[in-house]
Amino acid sequence: MLDIDQYAYSNNLRSIHPVEKTIFALLTMIICLAANSIITSLAIILLMAGVVIFGAKIPRQFFIKLILIPISFLLISTITIVISISKEASSFLYYLSLWGWKIGIQMENIIFAINLFLKSLGTVSCLYFLALTTPMIEIISVLRKLKVPRIFIELMSLIYRFIFVLLDTANLIRTSQLSRLGYSNFKRSCQSLSKLISNLFIRAYYRAKGLLTTLLARGYEGEIRVLEPEYEFSKKNLAIIFLVEVSLILITVYIGGDQFVIINT
Amino acid sequence: MGRKNYWLVSVGIVLVSLFLPENAYAMHIAEGFLPAKWAGIWWVLMLPFLTLGIKHVKRVVDEHDPSIKMLLALAGAFIFVLSSLKLPSVTGSTSHPTGIGLGAILFGPWPMVVLGCIVLIFQAVLLAHGGLTTLGANVFSMAIVGPFVAYGIYKLFRKLGAPLWLTVFLAAALGNLLTYVMTAIQLSLAFPAETGGFIASLTKFMGVFAITQVPLAITEGLVTVLIFNLLREYSKGELKKLSIIS
Repeated sequence: MLDIDQYAYSNNLRSIHPVEKTIFALLTMIICLAANSIITSLAIILLMAGVVIFGAKIPRQFFIKLILIPISFLLISTITIVISISKEASSFLYYLSLWGWKIGIQMENIIFAINLFLKSLGTVSCLYFLALTTPMIEIISVLRKLKVPRIFIELMSLIYRFIFVLLDTANLIRTSQLSRLGYSNFKRSCQSLSKLISNLFIRAYYRAKGLLTTLLARGYEGEIRVLEPEYEFSKKNLAIIFLVEVSLILITVYIGGDQFVIINT
Repeated sequence: MGRKNYWLVSVGIVLVSLFLPENAYAMHIAEGFLPAKWAGIWWVLMLPFLTLGIKHVKRVVDEHDPSIKMLLALAGAFIFVLSSLKLPSVTGSTSHPTGIGLGAILFGPWPMVVLGCIVLIFQAVLLAHGGLTTLGANVFSMAIVGPFVAYGIYKLFRKLGAPLWLTVFLAAALGNLLTYVMTAIQLSLAFPAETGGFIASLTKFMGVFAITQVPLAITEGLVTVLIFNLLREYSKGELKKLSIIS
């Protein structure tokens, strides 16, 4: 139902320690954000694409499809940032006049936008690495090790389990509404959707009650204890992560860091 | 201004609106979009609210039996599923309800901070909408500002004796709208325009959001009123029991 979730359970890097994968994803993400350089961002996008496609053996098309998800937000927002409005035309590369105002694009803004766009895609690919190789349950177990409050962790794991049940229910209701032309026009769509949601709510409510009864029957006292699979840290992996991060920092310092400034001035 | 310019501007507007509401998730600030400084600031601003929210949830669970925990978790899953449903639209573009108004009215603002934060983590990791570095900013707009505005309006208009449908409509529509105003503020704080600074940037972002978000906010308001009427008609008892978690 959720493709990312399925790949998280069936990818080739599944057996690696979740803490190692989390460290790798988050460190790279922070470096990408802090480096703020076109070169480093490109290096990180390529690195993560390589690890996901060749390491985790996720189909290439699926990874590309994922990369396209944030594109609509990125395009709208970067275009909004790039376009500037002023009364003087001198600094513009290209502009339109509208009621005495000049709406246009400046050269340095274009470079800024490209950098922003790539930086965002770089961190997005780090997020995808984590999402595609590590199942949610293991991410939750990493959070538990980080001493996130227990109630938060518990709610997270319960919600994760309920999502699939409710998604299934919602899909069933929607299919039967669709087969009865429930979404044929705007008014009917509004009515159908609100019936779907109110029914979903009531079903969720009774499912919670039912679930509690079954748990109580099995000795539930307010806490669900589960066995976590045991992983061992691999020195080799940690060394690789360390080397990769150091070389990313070196790339930034020696090639990437000044790149932006040089083009800019 | 020449004819050609009018033409170019209208082509521009059409192009932008074609790209725009691919879905309402498009308005989650994408991973890595905020500079490190602002990503950090919003995380720091969000944490006290989250801590208070967790405290509230913990107290409610401790005071009542464990069944409350199940109810809270189902409420969280409900919000996640809600935000993955398609909202009817007049223009034909697809979009999704935020569920902020309905959630805040049904479950109260404090549980919404915690549940909203969890839902946003799931949306980032399972659906690739939003992100972890921008989680702070997204939680602040979607799980703090939105629910508190919606809940505040709901309480205020109930007190004033406004009809229920109007109250629910305004709470849901304004909760939705102000969430995006907050997002616009966050984006323009991080990217102030070179001339005119924060205000000029805010005008630009608000202009873009006004085209896309106002119709969506109205639709969400309408749908929420319909949902609320159905719930009140058929499930009064459950709604009463639910009021303990808020």
